[in-house]
Parts: sequence; structure tokens; C-alpha cells
Amino acid sequence: MIHGVVAVIEHDLRVFFKYKFTLAGLISMNLADLLIMAVVYTRMVSFNYFQFLAPGVTATGLFAAAFVIGREVNMETRRGYNEYLLSLPLRRAELVFGRMTAGGIRGMIYATPLLILAMFILKFPTATQFGLMLFAMYLLSMGISGLAISLAVALRSFERFTTARSLLYLFLIFCSTVFYPLTILQQILPGSLILFAQFNPLSAVADLIRGYLIGIPPVTGQSWTGLVSFSGAFIVAGAGLYRIAIERSVR
Amino acid sequence: MTKILLVIERDLRSLMMQKSILMMRWFYAIVQIGIFGLAISRLVTAMQDYYTYYAMGVIVMTMYSVAIFTGYEIYDEADEGYTEYLLSIPLTRQELVLGRSLAGGIRSMVFMAPIIAGFMLLIGIVDPVRVAIALVALFGFTFGVSGLSITLAVGLRSGDKFDIIMGALDAFIVRLSSALYPQAFMPKPIAILSEFNPLTYASDFFRWSLNFNTRFLANPVTALIVLVIFLTTFNVAGVLIYERSLEGGTWR
Repeated sequence: MIHGVVAVIEHDLRVFFKYKFTLAGLISMNLADLLIMAVVYTRMVSFNYFQFLAPGVTATGLFAAAFVIGREVNMETRRGYNEYLLSLPLRRAELVFGRMTAGGIRGMIYATPLLILAMFILKFPTATQFGLMLFAMYLLSMGISGLAISLAVALRSFERFTTARSLLYLFLIFCSTVFYPLTILQQILPGSLILFAQFNPLSAVADLIRGYLIGIPPVTGQSWTGLVSFSGAFIVAGAGLYRIAIERSVR
Repeated sequence: MTKILLVIERDLRSLMMQKSILMMRWFYAIVQIGIFGLAISRLVTAMQDYYTYYAMGVIVMTMYSVAIFTGYEIYDEADEGYTEYLLSIPLTRQELVLGRSLAGGIRSMVFMAPIIAGFMLLIGIVDPVRVAIALVALFGFTFGVSGLSITLAVGLRSGDKFDIIMGALDAFIVRLSSALYPQAFMPKPIAILSEFNPLTYASDFFRWSLNFNTRFLANPVTALIVLVIFLTTFNVAGVLIYERSLEGGTWR
């Protein structure tokens, strides 16, 4: 079991580094948000927006990098590569678990430097806090990978996949506390969207990092419950959908 | 002229076929104005009516993104071996590239027309002549952006390089401009860079036409001059480079 999973992870990590241009584009976007946009907004708002956004940028970077695996799986589905994957001497569970784990690791590889940058900007946490932040990020990364993989196989058409990805991106990023505090969202969004923003895993990760690095908002049991339940649901649903969809895709 | 119109018609039809991309961009602009704009304007304390300022910037920014799309199409055509077909058409290279740049500008205008119209109805038009001038200037700007996008696509001849340069340009051009925030609040190095950015002048000129507080805007005459220089430079460069790169057929 372990050997097969490791082989799938190794394959996916090798492929990840082939996407250097996509990664460079992502880095440009995240750094531009933090080093230009946040710096200017700091001069326009009544608090240090630069410090507020640093953890948020880590969460958006993680989301975008973890989603890259969806694009890859979608391409494989369209090009008939799933036949090859299913013919490998691997159990379905190994393939599914390996790909989702790799997706999670890829998100971490990309987002950990952003977290370290946030630590330089805000403050250095204790080793336990650092470990907890990494764990929270990994949970989100794996959940997002699961979601991306299942969407990629289920939607099949590249156009539909990119449309769904953009819609998800819009909802998960803008209806979250990545760019603004929850109190602001409470003033402008209807009740259902506020609830969504509250339990959005991107909000959870951004606020957990803020909590551990600056103490605001404070980390509570509820912060972790929200993240674990949302990411857990994504992981389980993603794994189930991928398993069904990959077999259906070759019929 | 008829031939240029044919190129424009063909490019407009190809945009209309990509309905989901169009819908997404509309939706993106609406969410940016309706959620991000509303939220961030509640945080901004340094200026009044930041929400209107921001919404106007998002409109121009979206037009810029739609105009950039022309370069992606040109790259895809070359990648799929479509260049030979284009070379066989009874059109001069100049007609082809000018038609495509003009189509890029018209596509942006057509695409954003409902949002611009809705926005103007919402805030009210004080000076129709100014608005007309600004719309012509915006068309000139998007025409120039199409030229820039074509120049880069045919100049780089590599999907990867084009993708990264466009991604970086999109990230930095937007943030290093006054599309999102006034130059008055930028730290000096960012403000200096934004002075060389045509998006700054296009956004500010549009705001000026809609009577926004001029304290936060670039001088409209300077803006107009910069936009004319921008569109001329990149369309001439686009014609010259596209003409050369089309010869010999596919890029691979």
C-alpha cells in the first residue's frame, strides 16, 4: 500500500515542478497583492492592512497551488490517460490517496515560503504553533486537492472545469476573511453568505495563522472544528468522487 | 477597409462563441464591485466615495483583461497550425493585424457595454460630451492593449513565456496603476512606476469623464496624450512584428 502511494506522490511532485510558469504567475500575483496592494491600502485604512493581509495571502497561495492538480487530472481525463493510470499495478485506493496526498504536499511546498514571509512580517511563533499552522495548511491543501480532482474528472470539458474553478475561486476567496475581517462581511452580505464565510476553510486557515502570529482573532476550538469538518468533507467527497469518476471516464 | 471589417467580424464572432468565459468575466467584475469593493470601501477612511472610485477602476481593468485575450487567441492559432490558413487569405499583413487589434478594442467595449451603461445609469451622467470623449479614449486604450498583446504573443513565440509574462503583467500592471487606488496614497516608488502605466491614465480619464473628484486623478490632457502614444506605439510594433512572424507559417 505504502509503496504504491509513494510512487504516485513522487510522480505528481515531479510533474508539479514542470509547471514552473504557472507557479511563477502565481508567485507574481501573491507578491503583488502583498507588496504593492496591501502597502497602498495600509495608507488608506485605519489599521496595518499589510500585516492583516500577509496570512490571507498564504491561504490564497495555498488554495491556488493545491488546485493545480485539478488542471492536470482534467487534461489526463480528456486525453485518455486514465486508461493508463487504471492499468498500473496499483489499487484504486492507492491511486486516489496518493494523488490527494500529493496535491496537499504541492500546496504546502508553494505556501510554506509565504507562511515564513508572514512570520517575518508579523512575529515568529513557538515550534508548537508553527507545527499547528502547518497542519492546518495541510488539511486545507488536501481538501482543496480533493475538490479539484473530483471536479476535474466529473466535468471533463476544460472550459467547464475552468468555469467551475473560477466560480469556486470567487466564492471561496471573496466570501472569506482573507481580504477583510468578518465584521465587515457581516455588514454587506446576506445571512447565508456570512455563514459560508464563517465556515469557509480559507477563512479558517487565514484566521488561524493570524491568531497564532498576532493573537487576533484568538484561536478557539471552533476555529479548528470548522477547518477539520470542512476539509474533512472535501477530502472524503473528493476521494469518493475521484474513485467513481476515474472508472466511469474510461467506459 | 472591407477586409479589415471582415477580420473584425470574425473576431467578434469568435468571442461570442466563448460564452462561459464571457459570463465568468462579467461575474468576476460584478463580484469585485459587489463584494470586494463594498467591503474594502468600508475599511477605507482616507477618502470619501472610495466605492465609486473603485468601481470605475474595475470597469477599466476588466476592459484591459478582455483586450489582452486577443494575444492568447493568436498564440492558440499558431500552436494549432492555423497560421497557414491565415497566410492563404487574400489580406495584407497590415489589414490582418490592424483588424485584429481593432477587434480587440471593439470586443472590450461590446463586452463591458452593459456594465458601463448600468453603472452610468446608477451614478447619473453630468456631462455627456465628456463621457463620449472618455468612451472614445477607452476604445483607444483597449485598441492599444490588443496591439501590446499581439506584439508579445508573436514576439515571444512561446506559450509558456507568453503565459508567464501576461500573468506577471496582469498582476503588476493592475496593482502598479491607479485602477484600484489613487496615486496620492501610493508610496513614492510605486507612484513613480504608476506614472508610466497606461492603465493609470485610462482609469483616471474615465473617472474624470464621470465627474469624480479631480484631486485624486491624473491630469486629463496628459492622460489623453499618453493614451494616444500608447495605442500608436503598440499597434505599429504589432503590425511590424506580426508581419514578420507570420512568414514561414507555424511557430513550431
